Amino acid sequence: MTNDNSLNFYSIFKWVIIISFVVYAVFPFLWLVLASLKTNAELLDNPFKLPKVFQFQNYSNAIQEAGLIQLIINSLVISTCATFLNILFASMCAFAIARHIFWWKNVLFLMITAGILVPLNALIIPYYAIINFLNLYDTRFGLILVYCAVGLPVSTFILTEFFKGIPKEIEEASYLDGCNFVARYFRIMLPLALPGLATAGTFQFILCWNEFIYAMLLTSSTEIRTIQFGISYFTNEFFSDYVGMFAAVVVSILPSITVFILFQERVITGLTAGSVKG
Amino acid sequence: MKIKKDEVGWLLLFIAPTLILFTLFFILPILFLLASSFTNWDGIDAEFVGFENYIKLFNKKSFVRAITNNLYWCITAALITVPLGLIIALLLSHRSRGWKVFRTVLFVPQVVSSAAIAMLWAAVFNAEYGLLNFILDNIGLSDYKNHNWLGNVRTANAALIGFSLCYVGYFMVIMLAKTASISEDYYDAAKIDGASQIQKDFYITAPLIKSTFFLCIILAVIFNLRQFEYVYLMTAGGPANKTQVLVVYIWNELTVQRLGRGSAAGVIMIALGAMLLLLLRRILKSETYN
Repeated sequence: MTNDNSLNFYSIFKWVIIISFVVYAVFPFLWLVLASLKTNAELLDNPFKLPKVFQFQNYSNAIQEAGLIQLIINSLVISTCATFLNILFASMCAFAIARHIFWWKNVLFLMITAGILVPLNALIIPYYAIINFLNLYDTRFGLILVYCAVGLPVSTFILTEFFKGIPKEIEEASYLDGCNFVARYFRIMLPLALPGLATAGTFQFILCWNEFIYAMLLTSSTEIRTIQFGISYFTNEFFSDYVGMFAAVVVSILPSITVFILFQERVITGLTAGSVKG
Repeated sequence: MKIKKDEVGWLLLFIAPTLILFTLFFILPILFLLASSFTNWDGIDAEFVGFENYIKLFNKKSFVRAITNNLYWCITAALITVPLGLIIALLLSHRSRGWKVFRTVLFVPQVVSSAAIAMLWAAVFNAEYGLLNFILDNIGLSDYKNHNWLGNVRTANAALIGFSLCYVGYFMVIMLAKTASISEDYYDAAKIDGASQIQKDFYITAPLIKSTFFLCIILAVIFNLRQFEYVYLMTAGGPANKTQVLVVYIWNELTVQRLGRGSAAGVIMIALGAMLLLLLRRILKSETYN
């Protein structure tokens, strides 16, 4: 075949491109892990050389120094509560929109989903004022409320689309049998919609876990600080102890990467679902 | 399903939480932002000042720089990151051995928080112990020994934008997912016609995922308009406001309690976002129908 040469050239090109981007995406992480196991002197000497002795105590120091356990627990509590509330509210609203006929439902759906396009970071000043007005500044609940709210457009959108795809027959049968509104939601819709709830929930959880600007805007005390906001203090806390700082960054990244590796497919669909259908 | 009369209450109750939160955190803040942008509100007092905030902002060099930089980020993402994502998606769409592993690995930066990514890349660019300087030094470019990439007026923006290419994986995954829906028949037909792989990629796959490609461009523009963490954590808008972006600008106004001025900047940002979206829709729509 005449195509053989170009095919070979193309597949070489292909692997060069793919491998170089893999290196670009991952190499800095690997370097960070390696660096976090050195002494500061070794780091400044040669960034690539393996350390003489792996300095695992960098990690125990970092965990203590930065109070990482507390930060991670805070993030976990806030993200879990916000995700739970968000999915509960969004699925209730999506159930009403996807399964019932009332004249203003399209307006409602359009309005809520338009929220996806609002660049929310432009609203930090009003958010600051509103949270202060509600007396929720520097409270976990304030942050939970904001996280729950900012995720509502995407969650409502994903769940409404998902609910629309579930066959109506079971629900109609139960309706004729006298199953009321609330029972249809809890007993019929939610169990059938579990994959959709998981997708929307994954998106929402990762959003909360990785959120930075509102955590910085709406909290100040160390007791309720989240891990992402905590990271911004590392440069000061570790000052010239670079390897300690690296270890702290590695620990802060680990939960996300572990969850991602365990639930790859779910995370990928979750993070791209809101966009692909839009 | 039609609503029974006695279920209207339940219906409203189910919509209420979302509607209340939406009003409180979307509608109200936007109205609030608009209103306060015409005042000199400083956290305590507020007086109506008309368009003064807007006029002052557009006369500020650092604010105009912030808008230009945001556009710069958006354009880079639309013209470089997303097309690169398309190329990688096309290459991985062959589904040759190990494609899933590469997809997963390239997606990693999307899963890690932007705060952590900012710390990671700040370390890569560091003058003393940074990875980049070490590599450059070792391949003979020793001019850059101890070069402070993020602190130098000439290189700060280039460094920030260069690092943002590591997000190529997100767009790649979205486009790659779309390629799965393309019927095998097209490729079989092309094979009979003797099309090479590169021809199949560019004449079959690429045109069929065009709408997703455009969607990615829109997403990229939205993300880059609202971006904050990288600039805030890596350069804080410096050196000399060279890397300033809109959200960091608003943040700085907030920390000095110039809330009216900051609100005006927020209004401009939302208007800019709406304009960009309309513009993109128009350009991309005419493209799709041609």
